[in-house]
This record gives sequence, structure tokens and C-alpha cells, in this order.
Amino acid sequence: MTNHFNDIRHAKLVFFIGSNAAEAHPVAMQHILYAKEVNNAPIIVVDPRFTKLAAKATDYVRIRPGTDTAFLMGLINQLIQNEWYDKEFVRTRVAGFEELKEVAAHYTPEVVEDITGVPAKEVVRIAKLMATHRPGTVVWCMGLTQHHIGSSNTRAACILQLMLGNMGVSGGGTNIFRGHDNVQGATDMCVLSHSLPGYYGLSEKAWRHWCEVWGVDYEWMKSRFHSKEYMEKPGFTLARWYEGVIQEDKIYQYTPIKAVVFWGCSSTSQSQYHKLKKALDKLELVVIIDPFPTTTAAMCEKDNVYLLPSTSQYETEGSVTSSCRQAQWRYKVVDPIYDSKTDYEILQEFVKRFGFADKFFKNIKKIPEDVTREIARGTLTIGLVGWLPERIKKHTDNWHTFDIDTLQAKGGPCDGEYYGLPWPCWTEEHPGTPILYDISKPVAKGGLPFRARFGTEYTYPSGRKENLLAAEGVANPGSEIMGGYPEFKGWKTDVRVIKEAVKRGMAPFGNARARCYCWNFPDPVPVHREPLHSPRPDLIKKYPTYPDKPNHYRVYTRFKSEQKPELVKEFPLVLITGRVVEHMGGGDETRSNKYLAELMPEVYAEINPRVANNYGLREGDMIWVESPEGGRIRVKVKITDRVDDRTIFIPYSFGGMFMGRSMAANYPDGLVPYAIGEPANIVVNYGYDIKTQIQATKEGLCRIRKA
Amino acid sequence: MAARKIVPQTTSPSGTKITLNPKMARRSFLKIAAATTALTGLALSGRLTKRAEAKTPKSPYSQSKIVRTICTYCSVGCGIYAEVENGVWVRQEIAQDHPVSRGGHCCKGAGAIDMVRSEKRLRSPMKRENGRWKRISWEQALDEICSKLLEIREKYGPDAVHWNGSAKVSTEMAYLQRKLAAFWGTNNIDHQARI
Amino acid sequence: MARMKFICDTERCVACHGCVVACKEGHHIPVGINRRRVIIINEGKPGERSISISCMHCSDPPCMAVCPAGAIYQRDDGIVLVNKDICIGCGYCLMACPFGAPQFPKNSSFGARGVMDKCTFCAGGPAPTFSEKEKRLYGQNRIAEGKVPLCAGMCATKALLAGDADVISKIYAERVARRGNGLKEKIF
Repeated sequence: MTNHFNDIRHAKLVFFIGSNAAEAHPVAMQHILYAKEVNNAPIIVVDPRFTKLAAKATDYVRIRPGTDTAFLMGLINQLIQNEWYDKEFVRTRVAGFEELKEVAAHYTPEVVEDITGVPAKEVVRIAKLMATHRPGTVVWCMGLTQHHIGSSNTRAACILQLMLGNMGVSGGGTNIFRGHDNVQGATDMCVLSHSLPGYYGLSEKAWRHWCEVWGVDYEWMKSRFHSKEYMEKPGFTLARWYEGVIQEDKIYQYTPIKAVVFWGCSSTSQSQYHKLKKALDKLELVVIIDPFPTTTAAMCEKDNVYLLPSTSQYETEGSVTSSCRQAQWRYKVVDPIYDSKTDYEILQEFVKRFGFADKFFKNIKKIPEDVTREIARGTLTIGLVGWLPERIKKHTDNWHTFDIDTLQAKGGPCDGEYYGLPWPCWTEEHPGTPILYDISKPVAKGGLPFRARFGTEYTYPSGRKENLLAAEGVANPGSEIMGGYPEFKGWKTDVRVIKEAVKRGMAPFGNARARCYCWNFPDPVPVHREPLHSPRPDLIKKYPTYPDKPNHYRVYTRFKSEQKPELVKEFPLVLITGRVVEHMGGGDETRSNKYLAELMPEVYAEINPRVANNYGLREGDMIWVESPEGGRIRVKVKITDRVDDRTIFIPYSFGGMFMGRSMAANYPDGLVPYAIGEPANIVVNYGYDIKTQIQATKEGLCRIRKA
Repeated sequence: MAARKIVPQTTSPSGTKITLNPKMARRSFLKIAAATTALTGLALSGRLTKRAEAKTPKSPYSQSKIVRTICTYCSVGCGIYAEVENGVWVRQEIAQDHPVSRGGHCCKGAGAIDMVRSEKRLRSPMKRENGRWKRISWEQALDEICSKLLEIREKYGPDAVHWNGSAKVSTEMAYLQRKLAAFWGTNNIDHQARI
Repeated sequence: MARMKFICDTERCVACHGCVVACKEGHHIPVGINRRRVIIINEGKPGERSISISCMHCSDPPCMAVCPAGAIYQRDDGIVLVNKDICIGCGYCLMACPFGAPQFPKNSSFGARGVMDKCTFCAGGPAPTFSEKEKRLYGQNRIAEGKVPLCAGMCATKALLAGDADVISKIYAERVARRGNGLKEKIF
């Protein structure tokens, strides 16, 4: 999130695309409904499904799954064509506008209507609504990202906000409501196969930086790897690691995967789950570290699996980063229950047995505080320098002193600071940055320009040259240079450079323009591409997907070869999945809570009354949902107008059943969750984002038949 | 209807005041409004206890302390007041002064306490043997797992192990997971943020 | 005289069921008993609304009027409670209640067999305040502690208001009056 939940109280318009905040982030709704009530802010919800959030909307736009980029580009085109865009913002802080304009021109209201199903008039009306209600905020979640063009979708949403001049202002911003409680923290720490903590990447420079922070020799670290090549090559992802075992798509690694460790991670949240199950049966070792046995344990049918009981997070402590980049200290409530151990303890036991404990814990005597300090020392890129354990605790201890509208402390021990020191928190004294890219405040007081990450000048394919730095006169108050400037040399590895920059009123990472044309992406300006499994074969030719991508996080990922126009004949319905408020993620925690299980006891498929009647289905009937890849699940019918007559919806947080078979007997005695059901991810189709390899769960086809 | 109001005994046999006592009920005349942030639970209790008679306890948990913690479900980061007595989490209180959540919870967070109450928690390390789950000691579990991992590393190389880390642990723990993969010698580590 | 009331603002309620679980966890209510429920109408259609319902602590409670055992009583502050030692579990109150609030356990896990259970406004019951018996039969007595009911206190969007009728109706009235007027003052 560029802004924060409370900041939505200042929004004059809230635009949701691919988010069901009413179910996924109910507590954030108090701020959203405040904007609706007090600011008279239109609440626009763009979604294939009339969600609980849509019920609170002033304007609901039903869109065909997988066509978000087309819709967003349609809005952008309207803003440009009608000159409703923020000309001054674009002139001073945006790059690649000409290139954007050219691509956007294709997305006329009529073209958008054809692709998305949204009436042309609505496209114009929504664009005008957004242009006349500023600042407005744009919110999205996995409904926007989990597509084969997910990264284009998110960029189109960002460009929309740039055109509206809604970036860097209170009430504006691109606000991505993230999922898990600490998904922001874990992302910042880059528990990711393509980067070291702090988004440093995997280059030799990145490794050398972290080796220095850890106090280990780079050469020793290199010797731990198969080779330097593998040290710098992104690994398998959560979405497709199982291909490293079953190898149905070609893998690019010297060895198959033989062992997997699930450490606080569900398996049912991964698509193509029936393939993943094959991998579980083939592995030599599966280790599950979790407070609950998890569905994964019940899915393993070989003697290759161990369960280690870790504590819940209330039995340990540490910092957590909420969606709005703010750190809170999650204090320990009680000692570990049963014979469980904290994750820290388990990790220490692993490290000890692996024989590198002295090197691993070189700077760490007290856990977790010394770890927080090590993170602060190493994570300069996103400005975690000021995230010291004492400061984070002080904020949590004094959360009552922060103002609800600004999240700034009024008096008290945290006076002037923003709650949770939202990063970048450049120095030990920095108050945190509540709103990213806000040039109305000095950098030392939480202001920030756009980052100069891609040089100072670029020549587009057309031959046009553009200065990528911000225009003259655009900078934070107190900046030594009142205009654009490049990044400070060495700021990512030397904290003294950061301090020097902030002292001079400048952002260590420079002051640039935001790019509408990203030359390092397959589509420099986002364009629509039909889902791999599209219900509109006529559009595939016009908007084809990408060529196949070999060696995509060590696995061959099919795009073009998977896009089959004839598929829709056999699989006529579009399948989308999503959250229910009662359950979360793989659901192992929530389905083990008797009250939540009582509220949402079983998995179901939402089906439009028209489809139900055409198939002769009644409420409560059981159906088989089948995917083109041979996955099938047996679920109950729920007849509802939430979905249209081409789409079915299934909540994804269930597990414990597998293609009609109950796995209940496979749980340890007495530990079967109160609610079990078929994982929707068995039938979620093949398909992954070209850039991030996120799975495409919100597009794809299926067929149903009475069970 | 007033005629139907019961006038109960004023004290129970043990001498404890009971709620039904009309005098005691007077306490609740004080304006209580859950939705006003100006009135926190704590502020209310301060005002009310002044009127309570000395021998009436203020709370059923006289020795308890409040621990501030954060809900473990979604990324809104709602505050929780955990009331702890003698090492037991006895009650989940309302963190009405939290700047983001202001005491609010969805159904998951309202039952956050269940994480340490659920009867479905895994009680000890286990392994599957001959198709059945068997309880084993931590020593045995860790020894067997780690030696098997090292054996696989030796035989196939460090990339033969894939680590799925977590967005449900602290930032410090997430960092240590990433660091562990690095020291193990692989980039085969990922977590829920990918999907 | 102050009267304790609930108001559920249907423009705010997002049907997250936070109130339901807050109540159940807080009072250790067994599965199958719902002192509070969330009702959704027009589900999936424009005009969809949800509302959180429990005992409304009526000013003139029909349940009390029909109770043949005289087990239901009203405190001076308007909170309607049941004395489980007297209740015979006949179910007349359920017939009389316009909200379906009275709940009847099928087993003895909560209170006596068949005895009626319902929302207490977190005010415990006729057993001694903070006694084990009170906790077991009626749940927490938060009113005696000067604390707000759990359901409203934990409401995600501040849709559910609980407290003195004069105060919460004023909050609600202000909310409605300012709705859509673009006023800048803080309201809750």
C-alpha cells in the first residue's frame, strides 16, 4: 500500500478492482465506509462477482474474468481522450506518456465492451466519475494479480492513478490490501526465490552485501551452492515447486527436488493441486512445521512425512508488518502450549544440526531483538534502518497516542512519528513514511519523491528521448536540488549515504518520474491478452498470450502452446475462486476453530439460477466440477445471483477431501479439522504470470455435472 | 410490565452482591456506548468502579494483566488485548484504542484466542510409520529430519530441497527462513506472497 | 432512566460475523447455540443488506409476558435476562419473540437440559456476580465490570452499537444526518 487504511478516510472516491475487502479485510471497511458516508465518496467495485463488498458499493461493474487490463486501459484512454487527466502531474512526474497514449488509444469504449462485457457507456461514466472525484484511491487484491497478465493488470492500475494525479496524496494512492498478517514483512524479507532480503536480488553484489551483514566470507557462502550460476539463478516458486518433483513440464536444474519443507505454509493454496499431490507421493521427505497438522499431512500417504508442532504466534514474539508497511510488535501472550516449540527454537535446532550455527548466529545473541537489529543493518533499500526493536515496541506500547486520521502521534513518547514507522524509515530518528511519493513533506518528515531506479534518460523505440528525472521545481520541501536528481551512489549498501541524503533534504534513491512504459517488462505498456483458457476463442487471435517461457524459475512454463481456442466447447464455464470471511488461506487454522467451522462448514460452488436450471440443479445438490487438466471436485450447489450465467465461484480455503475421497482418516487421531472439503485448487486451471509466476486462479474454464 | 419485575434477594448466601440487585444495576445506568472511541473499556471501568462497593471485585480475574498483541489473520494488523492470569490467556479483551482497528475484529480475529484453545493443535512431533501416525520425541524427529536432509544434500546437491517459508511468522522469523536457505545453499525458497 | 439497547446500522454491517464469534468465544457458547446471528437479505443482488440480530432487550418484552414460570425478568436498565434455575424450557418465549432470540440447547453442555439461553447484554445473570455459576450458566458479566458488550465492542465497522439508548441513538442519528453531506467533523 502506498497509503494506509486510515488514510482512506480522506478519499473522495474508492475504486476496488479484484478485491473483496468486506470478506478479506472487514476491519478496513470501517475507514472505507467512513469515506462513503462522510465524503460522499462513490465506492466503485469492479468484479466478476457481486461480492459482499459490491453490496456496499455505489457503483458495481461486472467484468469478465481476466479482462482487467482492457478495462483499466479503457478508463485511461477516456481520461486522455477527454483531457480529464492531471496534466501538471503528468508533465512533471510521469514518463512514457506518449507511448502510453498510443497503446491506450486502441481501448475505445466499444472495444472495451467487447472484451470485458462492460457497456461502453459505463466505461465513459466511470472514467468521468474518477476524474471528478479526486483524490481517489485504487484498491486491489488477488483478483487483479492472479492472472497470466497479473503484472500488466497491476501496472495498468498504477498508470490509472498516475493519470489522475492521485499518487503521493492523502486520500489517493494504490492500496493493495495484502493477505496474511505478515505477508508484507515476509515479502520485505524476501522469503522469495528471486531475491535476498530487502529486494536486493541475487547478483554477486547482493550476495556480497548480505555476506558482509552476516559477517561471513563470500567465498564460503559460494561454496555452499552447487555453483555461482545457481547462487544467482532464481529458484522454484511456491506456485510450481512440485514440477521440480514430477517434471511434467521440463525443469532447468541439475537435480529433481527430493525433499520439501512446509514451514507455516499450506499446500492447498496452490493451483493444480492434484499434481502437487503426485509430488507429495513421490518425495523422499516431507517436513511440515505448523501449529496444526494441516491438510498437507493428510494428503501424504507414504511414510515420508514428519510433523513438527510449532507454536502459534501468540506463544512467541517479534515484529509484524501490516499491509500499510507499518511494524507492530506482537508480544508473547502465553508460553508454548503442549509440546510445541517456537519457530525460532526449531530453526536453531536445524541450524545446529546443519553445522553452521556459529556463522549463522554470529551477530545474534538475543532472539528476536538481535535479528531485528541485523535486519535494520542490512535492509537499506526500503529504509528499515530505523526499525529498531525498542522503537517498534514503543509504538505498540503507545498505540493509543496516534491520531486516527493521520496515524501521527500527538504528544507522548512517539510525538510526531507515524504509527508503526511505515517504511522507508530512513534513520533511527525518522518518523516513518505514511504516504509514499508525497512531495508535500520534507524527506526527513515522511515525504518522498518517485524513485530513480532506471537511469536518467531513455530512448524509446520510436526514437523519442525522455529525461526520466522529475521536472524542474518538483521536489520535497528543503531539498538541496529543487527538481529531479539521480540516486545517491552507494545508498543501498552504506547507511552513511542515506543519512547524508536525508540531511540534505533529499531521497537517497533520487527523484524521478514514474514510468508508464516499462522496457524491462514483456509488454512495456500493459495490453490485454486473453486468458490461456478463454471462453472467447474469437478474441484469442486478436489478443494472444505470450510465447512459452523456458527456464521460468527453473521450469518450462507454457503460454502459447497452452492457449487452446477449442477448449471452451468442452469446458463452457469460467471458474473463479476466492475468500470467505470465515476462513483464511489453506484454512488449516480457521477450519480448526469450531465456531468458524460452524459458520462456514463446507465448500460449495456458486451457480447462477439460469445455469442451475439449464443443468437441472437444485440448491444443495452435489456436482462434479472438472478442469481441463483432469482435476475434479465434488461440491455442493449454491444457487445465487452473485455470479453471472457464465461463471462459477468456489471458495478456496478447504482441504481434507481429494477428488471425491475423504482424507479424514489420514489425519493424526482426533485432529481432523471441524470442517473439511475439496480444495478448489484441484480444478483451478494451468496458467501463471509471465513475470512473477503467480498462479492464474481467477480465470480458466471448467465444466459441471450432477454427482 | 413493571409488575413482572422480580425483586430479588439483595445478597447471595455467601454475602456476595449479585447483579440482579437493583442497587447494583444502577451502575449500568452510566452511559455505555460501545461505539464511542472516547469511552474505552478501561475508562468506563475506572468510572464505574468508584461507585462499586469495596467488597465487590472489579473483575473476575483479579490477578490478570493485559498484553498487547496483534491478530494473526489478515494484514490489517488489528490490535488485541490479551488478558492473562497465571500464565493462562483467560479472555480476549477489546483493543478499542488501537489506531487502525479501534477494537474491531472479523469473526476470525474475534476468536483469536482459539489459537491457543483449539483442541486441534498438534501436540507433539509425529512421523508416519507403516501408514500410521506415531508420536516421537523432538530429539528423534530433529535428528532424523536433519540427517535425511543432509543426506539428500550430499547425494543430489543443495537444490534438491525446496523450502516453503511463511507469511504467518514474525518478520524476524521470515528473515531467518530466507537466511537459512542461503546458508543451506539454495534459492529454492518461496512463500505465500508469490501466490 | 437509561435503557440498554442495540442498534445495527445496516449501511455499515458487512456480514463478517465478528459479533457472532466474539459472543461465542467470550461466553464459551456451545456450537449450535447462537445468541447472535447475522441475517443477509437480497443476497447477491443490488439492495443486499445484512443485520446482526440477537435479543433486542425490548422495552416491553413479549417473552417475559408469556413465560409461565416467571423465569424472564428485566433489570431497571432494560436488560432482559433469564433465570436458568427457574426456566422450564417450554419454548413459549421463542414463539413470542419477534427476533427468534431464545435458544434451546439440545444437550446439557450449557446450563440445564433444555433451558433457554439468550443474549445477556454481557450482563451475566441472577447468580452471584463473577461466580463460577454465573460464568457457567450465563457467561461473562461485563456490565458489572463497566465494560461494553463484546459483540458491539468488536464490531469491525462499528455497525453494531450497544449501550444507553439515548447515547447510541444520538450516535446513529448523527451518522445518518451527516451521511453524504461531506462534512468534515469526525463521527463514528
